[in-house]
Amino acid sequence: MAEVKLLTEFYHLPEYQTLAGYKAKGGYAVLPTALKMQPQAIIDEVKASGLRGRGGAGFPTGMKWGFLPKNGEPRYLLCNADEGEPGTFKDRMMMERAPHQLIEGMIISAFAVGSHKGYIYVRGEYVYPIEVLNKAIKEAYDAGLLGKNILGSGFDFDLDVYRGAGAYICGEETGMISSLEGLKGQPKLKPPFPAVQGYLRKPTIVNNVETLAAVTYIIKDGAAAYRKHGTEKSAGTKLFSVSGNVMKPGNYEVPLGYPLMDLIMKECGGMKPGRKLKAIIPGGSSAPILTAEECAKANMDYESLAGLGSMLGSGAVIVMDDSQCMVDMLGVLTHFYAHESCGQCTPCREGTGWLDKILHSILEGRGRLQDIDLLIKVADNMKGKTICALSDAAALPVLSFVNKFRDEFEFYVREGRSKVKGTTYAENNH
Amino acid sequence: MPKITINGKEVEVKEGTSIIEAMQQSGDRIAHYCWHPGLSVAGVCRLCMVEIEGNPRVQIACNTMATEGMKINNTSEKVRDAVKWGLDFHLINHPLDCPICDQAGECGLQDQYMEYGKYDPEMAEPKQKKHKVVDLGPTVVLDSERCILCSRCVRFTEEVSKTNELGLFNRGDRTEIGTHDGMPLNNKYSLNTVDICPVGALTSKDFRFRQRVWYLKDSETVCNGCSTGCNVKVYYNREGFFRVKPVYNEKVNGHWMCDEGREIYKFVNKDHRLLKAQVRNNTGWTEMHAGAAAKAASEVVKSTAADSLALVLTAQYTVEEFDAIVGTFVNEFKSKKVYFWINNKESFDEFDGLLLRGDKNPNTKGLLKVLEKHGISATWNELSQGLAAGSIKTVVVAGPENQAVFPDFADRVKELSKAQNLIWLQAGKNEALSALTGNVSLIPMKTFVEKDGTFINHAGLEQKFKKATVVVSEALTLTEAALLLAGKNLAINASPANEFMPMNQRIDQVEVEARKKNEFVFKRGSL
Repeated sequence: MAEVKLLTEFYHLPEYQTLAGYKAKGGYAVLPTALKMQPQAIIDEVKASGLRGRGGAGFPTGMKWGFLPKNGEPRYLLCNADEGEPGTFKDRMMMERAPHQLIEGMIISAFAVGSHKGYIYVRGEYVYPIEVLNKAIKEAYDAGLLGKNILGSGFDFDLDVYRGAGAYICGEETGMISSLEGLKGQPKLKPPFPAVQGYLRKPTIVNNVETLAAVTYIIKDGAAAYRKHGTEKSAGTKLFSVSGNVMKPGNYEVPLGYPLMDLIMKECGGMKPGRKLKAIIPGGSSAPILTAEECAKANMDYESLAGLGSMLGSGAVIVMDDSQCMVDMLGVLTHFYAHESCGQCTPCREGTGWLDKILHSILEGRGRLQDIDLLIKVADNMKGKTICALSDAAALPVLSFVNKFRDEFEFYVREGRSKVKGTTYAENNH
Repeated sequence: MPKITINGKEVEVKEGTSIIEAMQQSGDRIAHYCWHPGLSVAGVCRLCMVEIEGNPRVQIACNTMATEGMKINNTSEKVRDAVKWGLDFHLINHPLDCPICDQAGECGLQDQYMEYGKYDPEMAEPKQKKHKVVDLGPTVVLDSERCILCSRCVRFTEEVSKTNELGLFNRGDRTEIGTHDGMPLNNKYSLNTVDICPVGALTSKDFRFRQRVWYLKDSETVCNGCSTGCNVKVYYNREGFFRVKPVYNEKVNGHWMCDEGREIYKFVNKDHRLLKAQVRNNTGWTEMHAGAAAKAASEVVKSTAADSLALVLTAQYTVEEFDAIVGTFVNEFKSKKVYFWINNKESFDEFDGLLLRGDKNPNTKGLLKVLEKHGISATWNELSQGLAAGSIKTVVVAGPENQAVFPDFADRVKELSKAQNLIWLQAGKNEALSALTGNVSLIPMKTFVEKDGTFINHAGLEQKFKKATVVVSEALTLTEAALLLAGKNLAINASPANEFMPMNQRIDQVEVEARKKNEFVFKRGSL
């Protein structure tokens, strides 16, 4: 197996960013056909493709669309381009390199779900992708691809870019909706689910950039073509953002089910010279870590990673070699989640802060041996106890890091310095 | 109507009932902070955990609907452990300042700790410091350290008062409640946020540090601040009344009351009261016992011809009292010159859409009903003309009890003082009355917390209430005054010394006996 570029084939071409360049490579060719289809037929095709949400949860896209009420109420299509998970940068590339692919995917998806208004919610720091998207949206309006009566089909769809103010939790669909509504970006209780009561309390579909971009391909080449790739339960291709101690970090589109070690060794050029693989976080910083031994057994699909106690998540693969101190790494991750917890649910608000403080006590040489078990207890009691998954996102790395690399934590507590680096936290940071 | 099983008991609930509501109905205790029946569900404190058969995870009861056949329990080890940890998360950054916290004795956090806690804390890290003594507005002070971010107060300003002053700011464990820029918490219902705060984070400027709650007794009554007739609880001890809080009544006030209504305890207290009757003649003022003064006044009333005798009523007394005094005038004195003193006439019909009404009397409907029953149709103009012409010689005035809502008080005193004899039945002290010359009797009256009776609110709802305690032992009810004015003898029992309000002790004296009976010890047993 190797890279399969269903979505990213022309990403290397600078002109692909423009309407003309995109059209030259077959862009918008399928749109008139799609707009003549029955919306339900598009939903059925997406269902048949086996496409699952690429934002992290992996929920079947067609099924999500099917949850919309059939009462003709106004509904919204929101593109989740917040991309705040540490380690992931795939959506950024898609928006920068192929904005029209996303726009076309959104038009087709909006037509399928009966939405006439869409937003692309982009994280605030993504200044360049926002510029590119705005330019592309203007081109699309000028060409009659957005707005009233698209291509004479009678279908209207307006699209705007919304720039978030920068909070990790705005990437969670209900948190994103709150933010878009002008409120503090805090997740909402479910039920009601957004498909029933979302943006402005109207039915709303929230899909990730990669999911919506894939819709264009599925309608153009058909569900069967898409299903040719991947596995039975994890169909199609997936973009993985690989970062860390590899020779060629970057985004790689491979079929789902692709062996993790092939991704690292073949696509990414392997480890840095002289270094050994220590561990990988396979699906963004919230996913439980895999040891080198576990990585050898891992395939990049939902089921295989779940079987190993981890998850595919957003597809952000963070690679660590033998120079990485796990206490240090967990300290960074925990600090991030403590900073980003929205502060709404008590176990998350207080738990993330507590974990952060315990880890920093250990890192600063004030740790107690019982703190290691306390980390486990606190994380255990945060899991599954909150409105959204941020609490789990903070707890799962703690549980997996401590369980799999306990000796490093114990060494740090006893010696006041890193087992791997041999230095103290203060020395590391000066 | 789904049938569910809660802790082994079968319960039938209405469609759309949440598990927490079902548990309240069945009388099962459940830990909770953020859930409040008058507000939307936030589901953030994560304490109302229950186990539902067939579900591997514990669930929150506030956002889970009860469905047919559901088997729920909240007494298992799993639930108790989840609640214990939930409590621990609440407590790690909460200061342990119960001894100086205003909420001590009625704090949800203390209650939950006694139920689920009592363990050695595992938090060894320094607590997250937050702001103290934050002045939120004219009525409320915030102590952010104590706040458990249940968001009840924020939701109150969003959903009930609709004034949106409060918000949650910052993230993670740095999150704090606060007011939006340049927008103090200043609305007519702001003190409800203090009532619903489950900990001592929001405190009332008026009440804080004035009493420990376990030295207070409470009694339910009906607010006499306006014609809504909110159901309230008054809190008092032998030093006086200290606060008023709402009591839930779906038909009247729901869970809330206005800030204006919370002021009504003030005019009841001794400092503002007429303690003895004051009788004035040509030689000046004489202090008398109230009963004796009323008896003496009966001579004046009886010696006045029926068409020279008038009665002025404010709508601040009970139906029973109105009936007694109007009946006495009509039947005993053969006078139908009974007048309704309407305060703030222009704003009488105003309503703010929630609770506050322009009619600042608790019993206008009750007074009108009694007047109608006795065939009274006299108008104020008649009285004005009679006073100006000198044809009305003796006037008996009842009220008002709450002078603060009678902006025309001084003008009316001036007008009524034209009568040769003025017998004023009054609960409170008043400068305009003290400054009167001529034949005047000021007779102390009981307030609404010192008597039983009925108020009829703006919607015609009759609400009976009971006496809470006695503040001025000599004061009369209007019924007693009517009998005495009619020359009848009346046995007035001396009020028994209230355990919290003995009349013969220093106000700063706190008895050990009273302490032993306080609610804190009663509810919790020996700590």
